[in-house]
Amino acid sequence: MHRPLLIIPAFLFAASVVRGQSSTMPDQTEQIKALLERVELLEKQVAELKADRVAALNSPVTGPATPVIQPPEVQPLAKPAVQVHEHESQIQQETVRQLETHYPSLEIRGFGDADFASTDRKGTNSGFYLGQLDLHIASALSPKISYFAELTLNAHPNDYTIEVERSIIRYDYDDYFKISFGRFHTPIGYWNTAFHHGAWLETTVDRPFIVKVGGTFTPLHLVGALAEGHIPSGGLGLQYNVGIGNGRGELIGRPGDAGDINNNRAWVVKVFARPAKAYGLEVGGSVYRDKITLRAGPEYREWITAAYLTWTKGAPEFLTEFDHVNHRNILTNQIANSDAFYAQFAYRLPWFEKSWKPYYRFEYTHMPLSEQVFAYQPQEESIVGVRYDISNFAAFKLEYRFLNSQPPRLGHPAEPAVNGLFIQTAFTF
Amino acid sequence: MNRTFKLAGTLLTVSMVVWTSWHPLSMAQTSRGADVAVVVNADTPVIDLSLAEVRKVFLGERQYWNAKLPVVLLIRAPVARERDVVLRVIYQMSEGQFKQYWVAKIFRAEVTSPPKIVYSNDMQYELVSAMPGAIAFVDARNVHPGVKVLRVDGMLPGDKDYPLR
Repeated sequence: MHRPLLIIPAFLFAASVVRGQSSTMPDQTEQIKALLERVELLEKQVAELKADRVAALNSPVTGPATPVIQPPEVQPLAKPAVQVHEHESQIQQETVRQLETHYPSLEIRGFGDADFASTDRKGTNSGFYLGQLDLHIASALSPKISYFAELTLNAHPNDYTIEVERSIIRYDYDDYFKISFGRFHTPIGYWNTAFHHGAWLETTVDRPFIVKVGGTFTPLHLVGALAEGHIPSGGLGLQYNVGIGNGRGELIGRPGDAGDINNNRAWVVKVFARPAKAYGLEVGGSVYRDKITLRAGPEYREWITAAYLTWTKGAPEFLTEFDHVNHRNILTNQIANSDAFYAQFAYRLPWFEKSWKPYYRFEYTHMPLSEQVFAYQPQEESIVGVRYDISNFAAFKLEYRFLNSQPPRLGHPAEPAVNGLFIQTAFTF
Repeated sequence: MNRTFKLAGTLLTVSMVVWTSWHPLSMAQTSRGADVAVVVNADTPVIDLSLAEVRKVFLGERQYWNAKLPVVLLIRAPVARERDVVLRVIYQMSEGQFKQYWVAKIFRAEVTSPPKIVYSNDMQYELVSAMPGAIAFVDARNVHPGVKVLRVDGMLPGDKDYPLR
Protein backbone atom coordinates (compact mmCIF):
# COMPACT_ATOMS: atom_id res chain seq x y z
CA MET A 1 0.00 0.00 0.00
CA HIS A 2 3.02 2.35 0.38
CA ARG A 3 4.43 2.23 -3.13
CA PRO A 4 1.08 3.00 -4.73
CA LEU A 5 0.87 6.12 -2.59
CA LEU A 6 3.84 7.51 -4.56
CA ILE A 7 1.63 7.37 -7.63
CA ILE A 8 -0.74 9.99 -6.15
CA PRO A 9 1.72 12.92 -6.04
CA ALA A 10 2.91 11.94 -9.52
CA PHE A 11 -0.66 12.13 -10.85
CA LEU A 12 -1.37 15.37 -9.04
CA PHE A 13 1.87 16.85 -10.41
CA ALA A 14 0.90 15.80 -13.92
CA ALA A 15 -2.53 17.27 -13.35
CA SER A 16 -1.11 20.60 -12.23
CA VAL A 17 1.21 20.71 -15.26
CA VAL A 18 -1.66 20.07 -17.66
CA ARG A 19 -3.84 22.55 -15.79
CA GLY A 20 -1.03 25.09 -16.08
CA GLN A 21 -1.07 24.68 -19.83
CA SER A 22 -4.72 25.65 -19.89
CA SER A 23 -4.03 28.95 -18.10
CA THR A 24 -3.99 30.73 -21.45
CA MET A 25 -7.74 30.08 -21.77
CA PRO A 26 -8.85 33.50 -20.44
CA ASP A 27 -6.58 35.20 -23.03
CA GLN A 28 -8.15 33.14 -25.81
CA THR A 29 -11.62 33.95 -24.51
CA GLU A 30 -10.79 37.64 -24.61
CA GLN A 31 -9.48 37.26 -28.16
CA ILE A 32 -12.61 35.40 -29.26
CA LYS A 33 -14.79 38.03 -27.61
CA ALA A 34 -12.90 40.79 -29.40
CA LEU A 35 -13.16 38.93 -32.72
CA LEU A 36 -16.89 38.39 -32.29
CA GLU A 37 -17.38 42.06 -31.47
CA ARG A 38 -15.40 42.88 -34.60
CA VAL A 39 -17.61 40.54 -36.67
CA GLU A 40 -20.70 42.28 -35.27
CA LEU A 41 -19.25 45.69 -36.10
CA LEU A 42 -18.27 44.64 -39.61
CA GLU A 43 -21.72 43.16 -40.17
CA LYS A 44 -23.29 46.45 -39.16
CA GLN A 45 -20.97 48.35 -41.46
CA VAL A 46 -21.69 45.99 -44.35
CA ALA A 47 -25.42 46.36 -43.74
CA GLU A 48 -25.10 50.17 -43.69
CA LEU A 49 -23.00 50.16 -46.86
CA LYS A 50 -25.50 47.90 -48.59
CA ALA A 51 -28.37 50.11 -47.51
CA ASP A 52 -26.51 53.24 -48.72
CA ARG A 53 -25.68 51.60 -52.00
CA VAL A 54 -29.22 50.45 -52.62
CA ALA A 55 -30.54 53.89 -51.68
CA ALA A 56 -28.03 55.58 -53.99
CA LEU A 57 -28.87 53.25 -56.85
CA ASN A 58 -32.60 53.68 -56.43
CA SER A 59 -32.55 57.46 -55.99
CA PRO A 60 -32.69 59.70 -59.13
CA VAL A 61 -29.34 61.17 -60.15
CA THR A 62 -29.40 64.91 -59.54
CA GLY A 63 -26.74 67.57 -60.02
CA PRO A 64 -26.48 71.21 -60.75
CA ALA A 65 -25.12 70.78 -64.28
CA THR A 66 -27.22 67.84 -65.40
CA PRO A 67 -30.67 68.04 -66.91
CA VAL A 68 -33.52 66.87 -64.67
CA ILE A 69 -34.95 64.46 -67.21
CA GLN A 70 -34.30 60.90 -66.25
CA PRO A 71 -31.95 59.55 -68.88
CA PRO A 72 -32.54 56.13 -70.36
CA GLU A 73 -29.31 54.91 -68.80
CA VAL A 74 -30.96 55.10 -65.36
CA GLN A 75 -32.67 51.81 -66.18
CA PRO A 76 -29.44 49.84 -66.26
CA LEU A 77 -28.52 51.53 -62.98
CA ALA A 78 -31.50 49.88 -61.31
CA LYS A 79 -30.16 46.44 -62.25
CA PRO A 80 -27.29 46.35 -59.72
CA ALA A 81 -29.83 46.96 -56.91
CA VAL A 82 -31.60 43.77 -57.95
CA GLN A 83 -28.22 42.06 -58.23
CA VAL A 84 -27.33 43.16 -54.67
CA HIS A 85 -30.60 41.69 -53.43
CA GLU A 86 -30.00 38.46 -55.35
CA HIS A 87 -26.45 38.27 -54.00
CA GLU A 88 -27.71 38.70 -50.42
CA SER A 89 -30.30 36.03 -50.96
CA GLN A 90 -27.64 33.69 -52.39
CA ILE A 91 -25.45 34.25 -49.33
CA GLN A 92 -28.44 33.58 -47.07
CA GLN A 93 -29.30 30.38 -48.91
CA GLU A 94 -25.66 29.26 -48.74
CA THR A 95 -25.55 29.88 -44.95
CA VAL A 96 -28.75 27.91 -44.44
CA ARG A 97 -27.52 25.11 -46.73
CA GLN A 98 -24.27 24.81 -44.76
CA LEU A 99 -26.07 24.51 -41.42
CA GLU A 100 -28.82 22.19 -42.61
CA THR A 101 -28.47 18.57 -41.53
CA HIS A 102 -27.27 16.41 -44.41
CA TYR A 103 -28.22 12.75 -44.46
CA PRO A 104 -26.65 10.51 -43.39
CA SER A 105 -24.89 12.74 -40.86
CA LEU A 106 -22.26 10.73 -39.03
CA GLU A 107 -20.87 11.75 -35.64
CA ILE A 108 -18.21 9.64 -33.94
CA ARG A 109 -17.05 10.11 -30.39
CA GLY A 110 -14.81 8.00 -28.21
CA PHE A 111 -14.29 7.39 -24.52
CA GLY A 112 -11.25 5.89 -22.86
CA ASP A 113 -9.55 5.47 -19.53
CA ALA A 114 -6.20 4.38 -18.12
CA ASP A 115 -6.17 3.07 -14.58
CA PHE A 116 -4.03 2.01 -11.67
CA ALA A 117 -5.22 -0.40 -8.99
CA SER A 118 -3.71 -1.72 -5.81
CA THR A 119 -5.49 -3.84 -3.21
CA ASP A 120 -4.46 -5.99 -0.27
CA ARG A 121 -6.58 -8.91 -1.54
CA LYS A 122 -4.48 -12.09 -1.40
CA GLY A 123 -3.24 -13.27 -4.77
CA THR A 124 -3.66 -9.98 -6.62
CA ASN A 125 -0.94 -7.67 -7.92
CA SER A 126 -1.01 -3.93 -8.10
CA GLY A 127 -0.47 -2.29 -11.45
CA PHE A 128 -1.73 -0.27 -14.37
CA TYR A 129 -4.41 -1.43 -16.73
CA LEU A 130 -6.41 -0.11 -19.64
CA GLY A 131 -10.13 0.43 -19.28
CA GLN A 132 -12.60 0.02 -22.09
CA LEU A 133 -11.94 1.94 -25.27
CA ASP A 134 -15.42 2.95 -26.25
CA LEU A 135 -16.50 4.23 -29.66
CA HIS A 136 -19.89 5.80 -30.11
CA ILE A 137 -21.54 6.40 -33.47
CA ALA A 138 -24.63 8.56 -34.00
CA SER A 139 -26.05 9.11 -37.44
CA ALA A 140 -29.26 10.76 -38.56
CA LEU A 141 -30.44 8.86 -41.65
CA SER A 142 -33.42 11.15 -42.24
CA PRO A 143 -35.26 13.73 -40.13
CA LYS A 144 -37.02 10.91 -38.28
CA ILE A 145 -34.69 7.92 -38.54
CA SER A 146 -31.45 7.64 -36.59
CA TYR A 147 -28.82 5.01 -35.97
CA PHE A 148 -26.71 4.70 -32.82
CA ALA A 149 -23.94 2.23 -32.02
CA GLU A 150 -21.51 1.70 -29.17
CA LEU A 151 -18.47 -0.54 -29.62
CA THR A 152 -15.93 -1.37 -26.93
CA LEU A 153 -12.43 -2.77 -27.11
CA ASN A 154 -11.67 -4.71 -23.95
CA ALA A 155 -8.19 -5.61 -22.71
CA HIS A 156 -7.61 -9.21 -21.59
CA PRO A 157 -4.41 -10.96 -20.46
CA ASN A 158 -3.63 -12.29 -23.94
CA ASP A 159 -5.72 -10.29 -26.36
CA TYR A 160 -8.45 -7.72 -26.92
CA THR A 161 -12.10 -8.45 -27.54
CA ILE A 162 -14.54 -6.26 -29.44
CA GLU A 163 -18.06 -6.02 -28.13
CA VAL A 164 -21.10 -4.45 -29.79
CA GLU A 165 -22.63 -2.87 -26.69
CA ARG A 166 -25.46 -1.11 -28.51
CA SER A 167 -26.68 -1.12 -32.09
CA ILE A 168 -29.96 0.73 -32.46
CA ILE A 169 -32.05 1.95 -35.36
CA ARG A 170 -34.78 4.33 -34.24
CA TYR A 171 -37.85 5.89 -35.83
CA ASP A 172 -39.27 9.01 -34.18
CA TYR A 173 -42.94 9.68 -34.78
CA ASP A 174 -43.02 12.56 -32.31
CA ASP A 175 -42.03 13.20 -28.69
CA TYR A 176 -44.65 10.73 -27.49
CA PHE A 177 -43.66 7.74 -29.54
CA LYS A 178 -40.24 6.55 -30.72
CA ILE A 179 -39.61 2.95 -31.66
CA SER A 180 -36.18 1.29 -31.86
CA PHE A 181 -34.85 -2.11 -32.82
CA GLY A 182 -31.48 -3.66 -32.03
CA ARG A 183 -29.30 -4.23 -28.96
CA PHE A 184 -29.93 -1.86 -26.05
CA HIS A 185 -28.79 -1.30 -22.55
CA THR A 186 -31.77 -2.63 -20.61
CA PRO A 187 -33.71 0.26 -19.08
CA ILE A 188 -33.69 -1.12 -15.54
CA GLY A 189 -32.89 1.50 -12.93
CA TYR A 190 -30.72 4.51 -13.69
CA TRP A 191 -27.01 3.83 -14.15
CA ASN A 192 -27.19 1.36 -17.03
CA THR A 193 -28.84 3.84 -19.39
CA ALA A 194 -27.33 7.04 -18.01
CA PHE A 195 -23.61 6.32 -18.35
CA HIS A 196 -23.42 3.26 -20.65
CA HIS A 197 -19.67 2.49 -20.99
CA GLY A 198 -18.27 6.00 -20.81
CA ALA A 199 -16.06 6.10 -17.69
CA TRP A 200 -15.59 9.84 -18.22
CA LEU A 201 -19.32 10.39 -17.68
CA GLU A 202 -19.21 8.64 -14.32
CA THR A 203 -18.13 10.56 -11.25
CA THR A 204 -16.51 7.45 -9.76
CA VAL A 205 -13.80 5.14 -11.13
CA ASP A 206 -16.10 2.16 -11.57
CA ARG A 207 -19.75 1.19 -11.82
CA PRO A 208 -21.74 -0.13 -8.85
CA PHE A 209 -22.06 -3.87 -8.35
CA ILE A 210 -25.65 -3.84 -9.67
CA VAL A 211 -24.45 -2.91 -13.16
CA LYS A 212 -20.86 -4.16 -13.12
CA VAL A 213 -19.47 -4.83 -16.61
CA GLY A 214 -19.58 -8.60 -17.00
CA GLY A 215 -21.83 -8.85 -13.94
CA THR A 216 -25.01 -10.84 -13.64
CA PHE A 217 -27.17 -9.16 -11.01
CA THR A 218 -29.26 -7.34 -13.62
CA PRO A 219 -29.32 -8.09 -17.37
CA LEU A 220 -27.32 -5.23 -18.89
CA HIS A 221 -28.45 -5.83 -22.47
CA LEU A 222 -31.68 -6.54 -24.30
CA VAL A 223 -31.87 -7.59 -27.94
CA GLY A 224 -35.24 -6.70 -29.39
CA ALA A 225 -37.52 -3.66 -29.67
CA LEU A 226 -37.99 -0.64 -27.45
CA ALA A 227 -40.72 2.01 -27.49
CA GLU A 228 -40.11 5.23 -25.62
CA GLY A 229 -41.49 8.73 -25.28
CA HIS A 230 -43.22 11.29 -23.14
CA ILE A 231 -46.47 10.73 -21.27
CA PRO A 232 -48.76 13.79 -21.31
CA SER A 233 -48.39 14.87 -17.68
CA GLY A 234 -47.80 18.63 -17.62
CA GLY A 235 -45.05 19.76 -15.30
CA LEU A 236 -44.50 16.26 -13.94
CA GLY A 237 -42.45 15.36 -17.03
CA LEU A 238 -43.34 11.68 -17.16
CA GLN A 239 -41.60 9.46 -19.72
CA TYR A 240 -41.76 5.75 -20.49
CA ASN A 241 -39.70 2.88 -21.94
CA VAL A 242 -41.37 -0.37 -22.95
CA GLY A 243 -39.13 -3.11 -24.32
CA ILE A 244 -39.41 -6.70 -25.45
CA GLY A 245 -36.50 -8.92 -26.40
CA ASN A 246 -34.37 -11.99 -25.96
CA GLY A 247 -33.32 -11.24 -22.39
CA ARG A 248 -30.66 -13.33 -20.68
CA GLY A 249 -28.78 -15.91 -22.70
CA GLU A 250 -27.36 -19.28 -21.79
CA LEU A 251 -24.59 -17.45 -19.95
CA ILE A 252 -26.79 -15.15 -17.89
CA GLY A 253 -24.32 -12.30 -18.10
CA ARG A 254 -24.95 -12.08 -21.84
CA PRO A 255 -28.07 -11.44 -23.91
CA GLY A 256 -29.19 -13.73 -26.71
CA ASP A 257 -27.46 -11.88 -29.54
CA ALA A 258 -27.80 -14.71 -32.01
CA GLY A 259 -31.24 -15.87 -30.85
CA ASP A 260 -33.12 -16.53 -27.64
CA ILE A 261 -32.32 -19.49 -25.44
CA ASN A 262 -36.02 -20.26 -25.08
CA ASN A 263 -39.37 -19.35 -26.62
CA ASN A 264 -40.16 -16.85 -23.90
CA ARG A 265 -39.40 -13.17 -24.56
CA ALA A 266 -38.22 -10.89 -21.78
CA TRP A 267 -40.06 -7.61 -21.31
CA VAL A 268 -39.33 -4.44 -19.41
CA VAL A 269 -41.35 -1.35 -18.49
CA LYS A 270 -39.80 1.76 -17.05
CA VAL A 271 -41.58 4.98 -16.06
CA PHE A 272 -39.70 8.01 -14.82
CA ALA A 273 -40.33 11.68 -14.12
CA ARG A 274 -38.22 14.78 -14.64
CA PRO A 275 -40.39 17.42 -12.94
CA ALA A 276 -40.20 20.88 -14.49
CA LYS A 277 -40.20 22.59 -11.12
CA ALA A 278 -37.29 20.55 -9.80
CA TYR A 279 -34.79 20.86 -12.64
CA GLY A 280 -32.10 18.21 -12.06
CA LEU A 281 -34.35 15.70 -10.30
CA GLU A 282 -35.22 12.35 -11.83
CA VAL A 283 -37.21 9.64 -10.13
CA GLY A 284 -38.30 6.38 -11.69
CA GLY A 285 -39.09 2.73 -11.41
CA SER A 286 -38.96 -0.33 -13.64
CA VAL A 287 -40.16 -3.91 -13.87
CA TYR A 288 -38.41 -6.68 -15.84
CA ARG A 289 -39.70 -10.19 -16.48
CA ASP A 290 -37.87 -13.11 -18.09
CA LYS A 291 -37.55 -16.88 -18.16
CA ILE A 292 -34.00 -18.07 -17.59
CA THR A 293 -32.73 -21.34 -19.02
CA LEU A 294 -29.35 -22.19 -17.56
CA ARG A 295 -26.78 -24.25 -19.44
CA ALA A 296 -27.04 -26.93 -16.75
CA GLY A 297 -30.75 -27.38 -17.46
CA PRO A 298 -32.92 -25.86 -14.73
CA GLU A 299 -35.31 -23.06 -15.66
CA TYR A 300 -36.30 -20.06 -13.55
CA ARG A 301 -38.84 -17.27 -13.67
CA GLU A 302 -37.18 -13.92 -13.03
CA TRP A 303 -38.83 -10.74 -11.76
CA ILE A 304 -36.71 -7.63 -11.29
CA THR A 305 -38.14 -4.50 -9.76
CA ALA A 306 -36.07 -1.36 -9.46
CA ALA A 307 -36.51 2.18 -8.23
CA TYR A 308 -34.18 5.17 -8.27
CA LEU A 309 -33.90 8.81 -7.38
CA THR A 310 -31.22 11.13 -8.75
CA TRP A 311 -30.27 14.77 -8.52
CA THR A 312 -27.63 15.55 -11.12
CA LYS A 313 -26.84 19.24 -10.88
CA GLY A 314 -23.31 18.62 -9.58
CA ALA A 315 -23.66 20.74 -6.45
CA PRO A 316 -24.73 18.49 -4.92
CA GLU A 317 -25.05 15.32 -7.00
CA PHE A 318 -27.01 12.45 -5.54
CA LEU A 319 -27.70 9.02 -7.07
CA THR A 320 -29.45 6.15 -5.41
CA GLU A 321 -30.87 2.98 -6.89
CA PHE A 322 -32.46 -0.13 -5.42
CA ASP A 323 -32.92 -3.41 -7.29
CA HIS A 324 -34.82 -6.48 -6.12
CA VAL A 325 -34.37 -9.77 -8.01
CA ASN A 326 -36.75 -12.69 -7.55
CA HIS A 327 -35.93 -16.13 -8.97
CA ARG A 328 -38.35 -19.04 -8.88
CA ASN A 329 -37.27 -22.50 -9.93
CA ILE A 330 -40.00 -23.63 -12.33
CA LEU A 331 -39.55 -27.28 -11.38
CA THR A 332 -39.25 -27.05 -7.59
CA ASN A 333 -40.91 -23.67 -6.95
CA GLN A 334 -37.96 -22.76 -4.74
CA ILE A 335 -37.73 -18.98 -4.44
CA ALA A 336 -34.70 -16.75 -3.86
CA ASN A 337 -34.86 -12.99 -3.32
CA SER A 338 -31.74 -10.87 -3.75
CA ASP A 339 -31.43 -7.16 -3.14
CA ALA A 340 -28.85 -4.55 -3.94
CA PHE A 341 -28.62 -0.83 -3.62
CA TYR A 342 -26.14 2.00 -3.77
CA ALA A 343 -26.24 5.61 -2.65
CA GLN A 344 -23.71 8.02 -4.10
CA PHE A 345 -23.17 11.59 -3.03
CA ALA A 346 -20.84 14.08 -4.71
CA TYR A 347 -20.35 17.79 -4.53
CA ARG A 348 -18.65 20.02 -7.10
CA LEU A 349 -16.60 22.48 -5.05
CA PRO A 350 -17.13 26.14 -5.97
CA TRP A 351 -13.40 26.93 -5.89
CA PHE A 352 -10.61 26.20 -8.42
CA GLU A 353 -12.91 26.79 -11.41
CA LYS A 354 -15.29 24.13 -10.05
CA SER A 355 -12.95 21.38 -11.18
CA TRP A 356 -12.86 19.30 -7.96
CA LYS A 357 -15.66 16.95 -7.00
CA PRO A 358 -15.27 14.81 -3.85
CA TYR A 359 -17.59 11.84 -3.59
CA TYR A 360 -18.73 9.00 -1.42
CA ARG A 361 -20.65 5.82 -2.31
CA PHE A 362 -22.04 3.06 -0.20
CA GLU A 363 -23.10 -0.22 -1.79
CA TYR A 364 -24.88 -3.17 -0.29
CA THR A 365 -25.76 -6.50 -1.87
CA HIS A 366 -27.74 -9.23 -0.16
CA MET A 367 -27.98 -12.74 -1.61
CA PRO A 368 -29.58 -15.70 0.15
CA LEU A 369 -27.83 -19.05 0.23
CA SER A 370 -30.78 -20.42 -1.74
CA GLU A 371 -29.83 -18.26 -4.76
CA GLN A 372 -29.00 -20.64 -7.61
CA VAL A 373 -28.85 -18.39 -10.65
CA PHE A 374 -26.09 -16.06 -9.41
CA ALA A 375 -22.77 -16.94 -7.88
CA TYR A 376 -23.03 -16.21 -4.15
CA GLN A 377 -21.60 -12.70 -3.81
CA PRO A 378 -22.94 -10.72 -0.87
CA GLN A 379 -20.99 -7.55 -0.28
CA GLU A 380 -20.86 -4.25 1.52
CA GLU A 381 -18.54 -1.61 0.15
CA SER A 382 -17.66 2.00 0.87
CA ILE A 383 -15.91 4.24 -1.61
CA VAL A 384 -14.48 7.68 -1.00
CA GLY A 385 -12.68 9.66 -3.67
CA VAL A 386 -12.23 12.84 -5.60
CA ARG A 387 -12.66 13.69 -9.25
CA TYR A 388 -10.60 16.45 -10.80
CA ASP A 389 -11.68 17.78 -14.19
CA ILE A 390 -8.44 18.62 -15.90
CA SER A 391 -10.34 20.07 -18.86
CA ASN A 392 -13.89 19.97 -20.20
CA PHE A 393 -13.21 16.53 -21.66
CA ALA A 394 -10.70 14.81 -19.35
CA ALA A 395 -10.67 13.95 -15.66
CA PHE A 396 -8.48 12.37 -12.99
CA LYS A 397 -10.07 10.31 -10.26
CA LEU A 398 -8.49 9.10 -7.04
CA GLU A 399 -10.44 6.58 -5.01
CA TYR A 400 -10.13 4.48 -1.88
CA ARG A 401 -12.38 1.44 -1.45
CA PHE A 402 -13.15 -0.67 1.55
CA LEU A 403 -14.88 -4.00 0.99
CA ASN A 404 -16.23 -5.30 4.27
CA SER A 405 -15.46 -8.82 5.46
CA GLN A 406 -18.10 -11.55 5.15
CA PRO A 407 -18.67 -14.22 7.80
CA PRO A 408 -18.52 -17.90 6.80
CA ARG A 409 -21.80 -19.33 5.55
CA LEU A 410 -22.85 -22.85 4.68
CA GLY A 411 -20.42 -23.99 2.00
CA HIS A 412 -18.84 -20.54 1.70
CA PRO A 413 -15.66 -19.63 3.59
CA ALA A 414 -15.25 -16.29 5.36
CA GLU A 415 -14.12 -13.40 3.15
CA PRO A 416 -11.59 -11.00 4.67
CA ALA A 417 -11.95 -7.23 4.35
CA VAL A 418 -10.18 -5.68 1.36
CA ASN A 419 -8.66 -2.21 1.08
CA GLY A 420 -7.95 -0.78 -2.35
CA LEU A 421 -6.53 2.31 -3.99
CA PHE A 422 -7.65 3.18 -7.52
CA ILE A 423 -6.53 5.95 -9.83
CA GLN A 424 -8.04 6.68 -13.20
CA THR A 425 -7.70 9.20 -15.96
CA ALA A 426 -10.85 9.17 -18.09
CA PHE A 427 -11.52 11.22 -21.18
CA THR A 428 -13.68 11.66 -24.24
CA PHE A 429 -12.38 12.53 -27.68
CA MET B 1 -13.44 0.60 9.64
CA ASN B 2 -16.58 0.58 7.53
CA ARG B 3 -18.48 2.32 10.34
CA THR B 4 -15.88 5.12 10.11
CA PHE B 5 -16.61 5.48 6.42
CA LYS B 6 -20.34 5.61 6.97
CA LEU B 7 -19.77 8.31 9.58
CA ALA B 8 -17.44 10.22 7.24
CA GLY B 9 -20.02 10.01 4.46
CA THR B 10 -22.79 11.26 6.72
CA LEU B 11 -20.64 14.17 7.94
CA LEU B 12 -19.69 15.05 4.36
CA THR B 13 -23.35 15.02 3.31
CA VAL B 14 -24.51 17.16 6.21
CA SER B 15 -21.70 19.72 5.85
CA MET B 16 -22.32 20.13 2.13
CA VAL B 17 -26.07 20.51 2.54
CA VAL B 18 -25.42 23.22 5.16
CA TRP B 19 -22.89 24.90 2.89
CA THR B 20 -25.36 24.85 0.00
CA SER B 21 -28.10 26.42 2.08
CA TRP B 22 -25.77 29.26 3.13
CA HIS B 23 -24.34 29.83 -0.34
CA PRO B 24 -27.06 29.89 -3.00
CA LEU B 25 -25.85 28.89 -6.46
CA SER B 26 -23.64 31.55 -7.97
CA MET B 27 -25.47 30.91 -11.26
CA ALA B 28 -28.38 32.94 -9.94
CA GLN B 29 -26.21 35.81 -8.77
CA THR B 30 -25.59 37.68 -11.97
CA SER B 31 -26.26 41.20 -12.97
CA ARG B 32 -29.41 41.92 -14.93
CA GLY B 33 -28.96 43.43 -18.37
CA ALA B 34 -30.98 43.91 -21.53
CA ASP B 35 -33.73 41.40 -22.29
CA VAL B 36 -33.15 38.43 -24.54
CA ALA B 37 -36.04 37.49 -26.81
CA VAL B 38 -36.97 33.94 -27.78
CA VAL B 39 -37.66 33.94 -31.51
CA VAL B 40 -38.96 31.17 -33.75
CA ASN B 41 -39.55 30.69 -37.44
CA ALA B 42 -42.78 32.47 -38.38
CA ASP B 43 -44.49 29.17 -39.30
CA THR B 44 -43.84 27.51 -35.94
CA PRO B 45 -47.18 26.71 -34.26
CA VAL B 46 -46.37 28.29 -30.89
CA ILE B 47 -46.75 31.78 -29.42
CA ASP B 48 -46.31 31.33 -25.68
CA LEU B 49 -44.10 29.02 -23.62
CA SER B 50 -43.42 28.82 -19.92
CA LEU B 51 -39.79 29.15 -18.84
CA ALA B 52 -39.88 25.44 -17.94
CA GLU B 53 -41.06 24.63 -21.48
CA VAL B 54 -38.30 26.77 -23.00
CA ARG B 55 -35.84 24.84 -20.83
CA LYS B 56 -37.36 21.54 -21.97
CA VAL B 57 -36.92 22.58 -25.61
CA PHE B 58 -33.33 23.72 -25.17
CA LEU B 59 -32.38 20.68 -23.11
CA GLY B 60 -33.44 18.54 -26.07
CA GLU B 61 -36.27 16.97 -24.06
CA ARG B 62 -38.94 18.33 -26.39
CA GLN B 63 -37.74 17.61 -29.93
CA TYR B 64 -40.88 18.16 -31.98
CA TRP B 65 -43.29 21.10 -32.27
CA ASN B 66 -45.65 18.55 -33.79
CA ALA B 67 -45.27 15.22 -35.58
CA LYS B 68 -44.27 16.93 -38.83
CA LEU B 69 -42.08 19.71 -37.49
CA PRO B 70 -38.88 18.95 -35.53
CA VAL B 71 -37.32 21.59 -33.29
CA VAL B 72 -34.08 23.10 -34.65
CA LEU B 73 -31.99 24.59 -31.84
CA LEU B 74 -29.74 27.55 -32.61
CA ILE B 75 -27.31 28.89 -30.04
CA ARG B 76 -24.79 31.71 -30.30
CA ALA B 77 -21.09 30.86 -30.13
CA PRO B 78 -19.28 31.30 -26.77
CA VAL B 79 -18.86 34.74 -25.23
CA ALA B 80 -21.94 36.20 -26.94
CA ARG B 81 -24.20 37.82 -24.33
CA GLU B 82 -27.26 35.88 -25.50
CA ARG B 83 -25.39 32.63 -24.88
CA ASP B 84 -24.41 33.74 -21.39
CA VAL B 85 -28.08 34.42 -20.57
CA VAL B 86 -29.16 31.05 -21.99
CA LEU B 87 -26.52 29.15 -20.02
CA ARG B 88 -27.26 31.05 -16.80
CA VAL B 89 -31.08 31.12 -16.87
CA ILE B 90 -32.11 28.17 -19.04
CA TYR B 91 -29.40 25.54 -18.65
CA GLN B 92 -28.05 26.76 -15.29
CA MET B 93 -24.69 25.42 -16.40
CA SER B 94 -21.16 26.65 -16.98
CA GLU B 95 -19.69 26.55 -20.47
CA GLY B 96 -17.92 23.28 -19.64
CA GLN B 97 -21.03 21.68 -18.17
CA PHE B 98 -23.01 22.70 -21.25
CA LYS B 99 -20.53 20.94 -23.56
CA GLN B 100 -20.50 17.88 -21.32
CA TYR B 101 -24.29 17.83 -21.23
CA TRP B 102 -24.55 17.51 -25.01
CA VAL B 103 -21.80 14.89 -25.22
CA ALA B 104 -23.79 12.81 -22.71
CA LYS B 105 -27.10 13.49 -24.44
CA ILE B 106 -25.84 12.17 -27.77
CA PHE B 107 -24.10 9.25 -26.06
CA ARG B 108 -27.43 8.26 -24.47
CA ALA B 109 -28.93 8.11 -27.97
CA GLU B 110 -31.44 10.81 -27.05
CA VAL B 111 -30.39 13.13 -29.89
CA THR B 112 -28.09 12.79 -32.89
CA SER B 113 -26.47 16.23 -32.78
CA PRO B 114 -26.00 19.21 -30.46
CA PRO B 115 -27.60 22.65 -31.12
CA LYS B 116 -26.33 24.43 -34.21
CA ILE B 117 -23.82 27.15 -33.44
CA VAL B 118 -24.30 30.59 -35.00
CA TYR B 119 -21.62 33.23 -35.01
CA SER B 120 -23.52 36.47 -35.48
CA ASN B 121 -26.95 37.99 -35.05
CA ASP B 122 -27.43 38.37 -38.81
CA MET B 123 -26.63 34.71 -39.37
CA GLN B 124 -29.07 33.81 -36.60
CA TYR B 125 -31.89 35.81 -38.20
CA GLU B 126 -31.19 34.31 -41.61
CA LEU B 127 -31.40 30.81 -40.17
CA VAL B 128 -34.50 31.37 -38.05
CA SER B 129 -36.28 32.93 -41.03
CA ALA B 130 -35.28 30.15 -43.40
CA MET B 131 -35.34 26.96 -41.29
CA PRO B 132 -38.77 25.58 -40.33
CA GLY B 133 -38.92 24.77 -36.61
CA ALA B 134 -35.90 26.92 -35.72
CA ILE B 135 -35.74 28.61 -32.32
CA ALA B 136 -33.09 31.02 -31.05
CA PHE B 137 -32.31 33.74 -28.52
CA VAL B 138 -31.67 37.28 -29.78
CA ASP B 139 -31.08 40.68 -28.24
CA ALA B 140 -34.57 42.10 -27.74
CA ARG B 141 -33.40 45.60 -28.74
CA ASN B 142 -32.59 44.39 -32.20
CA VAL B 143 -35.42 42.11 -33.32
CA HIS B 144 -35.68 41.85 -37.12
CA PRO B 145 -38.96 41.42 -38.99
CA GLY B 146 -39.72 37.96 -40.38
CA VAL B 147 -39.43 36.06 -37.08
CA LYS B 148 -41.95 35.46 -34.30
CA VAL B 149 -41.14 36.65 -30.76
CA LEU B 150 -42.49 34.23 -28.15
CA ARG B 151 -44.05 35.17 -24.85
CA VAL B 152 -42.23 33.50 -21.95
CA ASP B 153 -44.42 32.89 -18.90
CA GLY B 154 -46.93 35.17 -20.62
CA MET B 155 -44.47 38.08 -20.84
CA LEU B 156 -42.69 39.78 -23.70
CA PRO B 157 -39.22 41.35 -23.56
CA GLY B 158 -39.47 44.69 -21.79
CA ASP B 159 -42.13 43.53 -19.35
CA LYS B 160 -41.21 44.01 -15.70
CA ASP B 161 -40.79 40.37 -14.68
CA TYR B 162 -39.56 39.01 -18.00
CA PRO B 163 -37.28 36.13 -16.98
CA LEU B 164 -34.61 36.23 -19.70
CA ARG B 165 -32.22 39.07 -19.03
